[in-house]
Amino acid sequence: MSPGAKRLRPALRVEQALGLLPDIEVLAPLRALLLAASHPDERAKWSSSGPYLTVGKRAVLPAELREGMSQVLEQVQGHVGALYTACVEALECQQREDGAGAIAALRRAGGLEEEAGRLAQAKAWYEVALLLAERLPDRRPEVELLRALGGVCHALSRYAEGARYCQRGLALAEAEFDQAGAIAACEGLGLLALAQGELAGAQAWYQRGLRLAESREDAARVGQLTYRLGELLRSRGDLTAAAEYLARAHERFEAASDAAGLARTLDAQGQIDARLGRRGAALGAFREALAWRRRAPREASLEVTIRLHIAELAVDSERYLEAEEELRRAEQVAIAHNLGRQLIEIYTLMGALRGRQGEETGFVFFEQAIELCRIYGASPTTEAHVYHEYGVFRGRLGFKEEARAYLEKASGIFESLGQVAELERVQAELQRMSA
Amino acid sequence: MLAVGGDAALLQTMRRWAGEADAAVEGAPDLPRGARLLAQGRWTVVLALLGDRPDEELTWWAEALRGVEGAPRLLAVADRPSMGLVLRAEKLGVLDLLPQPLRREDFLQALHRLRSAAGEVPVPLPDVAPHGVAPYALVGQSPAMVEVYKVIARVAGSTATVLIQGESGTGKEVVARAIHLNGSVASGPFVAVNCAAIPENLLESELFGHEKGSFTGAVARRVGRFEQASGGTLFLDEIADMGLALQAKILRAVQEREIERVGGTAPIPVNVRLIAATNRDLREAVAQGRLREDLYYRLAVVIIQLPRLTERGDDLLQLIAYFVSLFAEKCGKRIEAISDRAFETLRNRPWVGNVRELRNVIERAVIVATDATLRLEHLPEELRTDEAGLPGRSPTGLLTLADAEARHIARVLAHTGGQIGAAAEILGIHRNTLTRKVREYGL
Repeated sequence: MSPGAKRLRPALRVEQALGLLPDIEVLAPLRALLLAASHPDERAKWSSSGPYLTVGKRAVLPAELREGMSQVLEQVQGHVGALYTACVEALECQQREDGAGAIAALRRAGGLEEEAGRLAQAKAWYEVALLLAERLPDRRPEVELLRALGGVCHALSRYAEGARYCQRGLALAEAEFDQAGAIAACEGLGLLALAQGELAGAQAWYQRGLRLAESREDAARVGQLTYRLGELLRSRGDLTAAAEYLARAHERFEAASDAAGLARTLDAQGQIDARLGRRGAALGAFREALAWRRRAPREASLEVTIRLHIAELAVDSERYLEAEEELRRAEQVAIAHNLGRQLIEIYTLMGALRGRQGEETGFVFFEQAIELCRIYGASPTTEAHVYHEYGVFRGRLGFKEEARAYLEKASGIFESLGQVAELERVQAELQRMSA
Repeated sequence: MLAVGGDAALLQTMRRWAGEADAAVEGAPDLPRGARLLAQGRWTVVLALLGDRPDEELTWWAEALRGVEGAPRLLAVADRPSMGLVLRAEKLGVLDLLPQPLRREDFLQALHRLRSAAGEVPVPLPDVAPHGVAPYALVGQSPAMVEVYKVIARVAGSTATVLIQGESGTGKEVVARAIHLNGSVASGPFVAVNCAAIPENLLESELFGHEKGSFTGAVARRVGRFEQASGGTLFLDEIADMGLALQAKILRAVQEREIERVGGTAPIPVNVRLIAATNRDLREAVAQGRLREDLYYRLAVVIIQLPRLTERGDDLLQLIAYFVSLFAEKCGKRIEAISDRAFETLRNRPWVGNVRELRNVIERAVIVATDATLRLEHLPEELRTDEAGLPGRSPTGLLTLADAEARHIARVLAHTGGQIGAAAEILGIHRNTLTRKVREYGL
């Protein structure tokens, strides 16, 4: 074989590489590295498959993986080491009958797992810590753990279980006059109610939390809950009231120089402007949100969210090229920061975009999103959203039988999660298809 | 002009300098507030004082200005700009990258460059009569394309399998559609499958279909593309990206005119005309054992070789005119001319992505165009390069081989965002060789 021929060999693709890795947990960091180290196959950029490129079609150089491996192994070692240390520390605290110390160590371990995106593992740590906390005379650690468990259950789509934890936390915090704990529990309950489509309930919880935060003069919490109320009212369609809350939240965040808060608020404002058909204002708000996000370096995920909203805006105004460019930028950010779960959202929207353009090959984005749901252990809610959009896509292109199958799959998941609003949306789609 | 960053004193100074050139300056203290002002007004220039992450900020600004009303140009100021930053600015189409501290002459010269750019001469776009190949069109009368038309006319009437070869973006699918529409199965369906876009594990079910439940994800029975194309044409694009096992099944389907769905039990007769396309050298793929030789000979009964865009001479202006009219109509705009400088820039482009790249460039340009002439400033940033601004040019205007190599490596590195591995892959050299050359040329 000539050296030239060797150079022309097609690059190893991510989908091929992933197929070679057994689906075992110990390889999860390597899978993440594989995705982060991949790069677009330049030869494919202008080919007819270019518009359909997904992370699975990116090229991987094993030599680059080898180079990056030591850094990943260091991170894994650091993570496991921190977990072991927390365990031993908890045991030492137990030995000297320092319950609070043991709980703190276990809670820290849970936090580390949560940061690494290992939610089920984080829940296990918190549950062990909670057993210890229930035996302490000081109930504040228990309140904190209940809040953490509520949060992790929310992320795992275990909404009813999360609400039970938050309810317990709220009752305990109120009994102990722990206002900070009560505010956090109210916020958690609001988020869980919202996830289950109980908008009025969510609003009541946020308002209760806001009243407590105002009486405590907790500026940060007031800003956060005001923003949450604004977001909630936006999703309820009460755009005027939503804009008022968001303007107040903006003031609070600006006074506190909270860049991430400002970025979130502007992103929500942009969505309101988009709903009102004020495209220029919406784009301005999103761009300013991106500018604030630059001052919050840990918020790469927020950047992806904002870019997804810019892309949605472009899709709605049939500016498909701009939508695609924005989605490709979001994809780059998601891959560089190992935000695999957000890649799912990106590909789902990319698939929907292709559906609008009547391009059947757009199904590859949904297939990639489903594959990523599996790789990253995405929440059932996320998975159901993918199936919902996949169904809409198939229906749009005239494949009724498949469309129905995907919509029914989404419907089943939403029903099992008790997500009424989402369920109604899918069922309306099914009815439309039957009509 | 909108000036973002810097203190009040600098803003005052810039206002004074701008006054000398009859320009006005508004200031914003930081990036977020600059973004707010950008959305509120109509600006000709945005002057951005880059902070401690100049690369990221430069990219951010280039993105933020895309599609903004009035298409403002970016003038960046950086503390001791590196070679990498200069290349990045060039790639992003920044009007100028000035070093700190800002000097009056540099500032005024940048404004002068902006004004001279406004003096572009409009060249009327010709009327084009494209040959419709819905949803595309065949455009151009260059000798290379006329040869292609002749072969299309010859093969369309037969049922022979056709292999279309050509670089990415040369219009292989358009030619396949033209053969279909002018052939005996024109009333049947034309079904296109992009073999490279579809995940390997799904390609078989996409081509041959599947029965419900035959594998995870087979939620319903699917009729494959072979069946969909029955009585018409099946176009297999990027055929070389198919695994050997699937190639055998394709060969069987073509020879025996029957397929079997994944998870199915009975053969299904199909009657399709097959057209395949590739941007690779299939004979080399056969030599490397990546393509079955028998499949190659089955596909390559008639071969059509499509020319590169750079080989199509005057077709470029025809194609520009066609795409301008297509996208202007979609956007509800009226564009009748292209400026001399914009056309010159397009003519000097190597067009790696051929007609597809040109189409993309024109679509983006039409979106941002504000009047009846497509100007240089409307072209995407990466096209607005100023060759004269780059180092390494001799007094004769010709480059030495080393200079050319250094410039090309720098461009590829800028393209890959500095990733050595990816750049080495594109350049077709080992990463260690590239690392050595980067050091050698001081890149």
